[in-house]
Amino acid sequence: VFDINGTDVTPRPLYHPDPLTGTAKPSKLLTSQEGSLGSEFISSYSLYQNTINPSTLGQFTRSVLGSSTVSKSSVSASESIAEDLEEPSYKRERLTSFTDLQVIRAAPEKIVTKEDLEKNIEIILTETETLRFFDLPTVMVSVESEEAEKVTQRNKNYEVLCRNRLGNDLYVERMMQTFNGAPKNKDVQCDKIIMEDKGIMSTAWDLYDSYNAMEIVSLSVKQSVVESSSKANVLPKDQDQRLPGSTTEKNIETSSLMDIENVILAKIHEDEEDHSDAILKSDKFHQDLFFMERVLMENIFQPKLAAYRQLPVLKEPEPEEPEDVLESAKHEEVEEESKKEEEEEIHAEESTIPANLERLWSFSCDLTKGLNVSSLAWNKTNPDLLAVGYGHFGFKEQKRGLACCWSIKNPMWPERIYQSPYGVTAVDFSIGAPNLLAVGYHNGTIAIYNVRSNSNVPVLDSSESPQKHLGPVWQLQWIEQDRGTTGDDKREILVSISADGRISKWVIRKGLDCYDLMRLKRTTAASNKKRGEKEKKDEALISRQAPGMCFAFHPKDTNIYLAGTEEGHIHKCSCSYNEQYLDTYRGHKGPVYKVTWNPFCHDVFLSCSADWGVIIWQQENVKPSLSFYPTTSVVYDVAWSPKSSYIFAAANENRVEIWDLHISTLDPLIVNTANPGIKFTTILFAKQTDCLLVGDTDGQVSVYELRNMPTVLETGRGDIMDTLLGSKSNQSA
Amino acid sequence: MTDVEETLKRIQSHKGVIGTMVVNAEGIPIRTTLDNSTTVQYAGLLHHLTMKAKSTVRDIDPQNDLTFLRIRSKKHEIMVAPDKEYLLIVIQNPCE
Repeated sequence: VFDINGTDVTPRPLYHPDPLTGTAKPSKLLTSQEGSLGSEFISSYSLYQNTINPSTLGQFTRSVLGSSTVSKSSVSASESIAEDLEEPSYKRERLTSFTDLQVIRAAPEKIVTKEDLEKNIEIILTETETLRFFDLPTVMVSVESEEAEKVTQRNKNYEVLCRNRLGNDLYVERMMQTFNGAPKNKDVQCDKIIMEDKGIMSTAWDLYDSYNAMEIVSLSVKQSVVESSSKANVLPKDQDQRLPGSTTEKNIETSSLMDIENVILAKIHEDEEDHSDAILKSDKFHQDLFFMERVLMENIFQPKLAAYRQLPVLKEPEPEEPEDVLESAKHEEVEEESKKEEEEEIHAEESTIPANLERLWSFSCDLTKGLNVSSLAWNKTNPDLLAVGYGHFGFKEQKRGLACCWSIKNPMWPERIYQSPYGVTAVDFSIGAPNLLAVGYHNGTIAIYNVRSNSNVPVLDSSESPQKHLGPVWQLQWIEQDRGTTGDDKREILVSISADGRISKWVIRKGLDCYDLMRLKRTTAASNKKRGEKEKKDEALISRQAPGMCFAFHPKDTNIYLAGTEEGHIHKCSCSYNEQYLDTYRGHKGPVYKVTWNPFCHDVFLSCSADWGVIIWQQENVKPSLSFYPTTSVVYDVAWSPKSSYIFAAANENRVEIWDLHISTLDPLIVNTANPGIKFTTILFAKQTDCLLVGDTDGQVSVYELRNMPTVLETGRGDIMDTLLGSKSNQSA
Repeated sequence: MTDVEETLKRIQSHKGVIGTMVVNAEGIPIRTTLDNSTTVQYAGLLHHLTMKAKSTVRDIDPQNDLTFLRIRSKKHEIMVAPDKEYLLIVIQNPCE
């Protein structure tokens, strides 16, 4: 198609099969007006209007269709066209370009597969080169050139032509209608995409849990766990969506694996009530209750416990409590008041305050009310654990007995309760296996309990043993004895002394971690002979056996021990000799209830008896060194203080006395009177603290704190007797 | 079971204890000595606080875990023993 000027204005198709070859050819357009067929596109070949138009059109339409069959016909068409033209080169061009086109057209018949759809296709948008649709540079001819006349003539002709165009028959207005593609509206409706906000706060522990849980899951075999693990994988990725904490609970969830499982399990669980029961029965709940109780105790008893542990006592900011009656079971008010008194005292000068016993609290509960405390023993490893044996005081009416383990942390309820039909007369904790508690009964039985368990059944029992004691077991003690003589290793033995006149040694042969009920194998054969001669007190054989009341092993040499009898004699014996005593100490007139070595000065020991007296002896001397007869009441128990070699405590019937020999040998340092009707029966010092435990006939074990004691002299511990004897004031009954 | 009941009774009878509550993970009381509305209120509030405290403890060290929570106020002390399935709450007035 040519316009008036003869330039080629045929509309080019949008399809450019070979743009590279296209750019090289635009010059062809301009070279000849007659046959400017120089474009490489088939469809844009423009020919003389009149003759070739139909074929061009046909060619055009056919080329648009682009089928391979067209190619043949168009080739023939091009040949025919080429005949009209003088330039033979067209054919060649055309053919080459045509063949190019042919090739290209055959190419895009690939099937697009699904993977291709999924593939990431990179689309790079770049700027193409400038395509010139039309470029008509001006031709300038110099006026003086040869062609100038022709050009001017031609220009004039053109002007004339333009003027004559209107109304001229040569020029006909012609209109052409193009096809308008019918527009079509197309709608697509899709399902509403529901958007949901999901937020999670990923915390450090959350991530830790998920990683740990995934490790556990990889080992697990369960199906449900595997499913939920895949869910958990998704959740940690939600890190970027952080919602504030104010959103509703539905949106925030912990991604912990366990919680998902719990949710699943909880939904499966049908019965609500079962679940709550399960909670109550669970061990964890039990443990939590246990702790809770201790925490409560701590709150209630905080000042007392602090005083016990020698910590500064916190003062509560509250009004003063009114005074209350002393005999009430709850002594907290009394303690409060006395605490305040004592606080005021602290402000005063310490040197003017005499030493005194400060009552902190008492271990008692309903179970123990009315029973007599017969023995006290600390646990060897846990300094807070105390074993208390309860029996009846009037030993004729022996009823039930109780052995309880109390903890300092809970003064209101014992940790362990072991009931028995007989009164308990002796308790002791083992040294080597601190969970074993040996309990001696009024009927002569010895039982060993494992305090780790709550069961009332002892681990070992001697009730079926043929060599059990026939009388009440008055004292039990675990001794670590070096049995080098027999070639055995250092072993722990249980030694008991009872009213049938025997001191027996019990050995647990099959090891201490045996839980079956088994018979104790005793080597009483050896030791029985020792005590079989209880018959002979200090001379030749006497048939009657003297009941033994107490014994004490020497702290350094576990071969030597003292035994106190009902007759008032104290015998020094050795484990190697079971025929006779090494020595006899005579001085008491009544049964010796307690004998104990001085922890610092190993030659000195102390004894107390029913003849109202307390006597200090020296090992080498069979006569008493010092004796004390403070009151006319039976002295039930006596104990040395673990801190000073001069201080000891004695429990009379209605008084607790603290003696300090360094200060005075005539009078006790502190005297604490009991409530009327109550007798003090046992004492025990606490090891690390300045406290004294006193058991009485009402079933209470009271804890007293020794306040303002005179300072302990570090020197001269061993020279106690010299000091005393130097200024001795012997009182004989 | 009776052991648990006994311990619960003992705790309740201690000096100064105002109330004892055991609530499950959903806030439904299993055992309580206070009225229902108070129990539910305590349970709801303490649950959130316990979660927060637990999250704090574990954020600092993920291997650690919260075992006990005590809140001391002017009037009382609230003690919470948390667990995955339940909350044990005791309110005590330690002063008088």
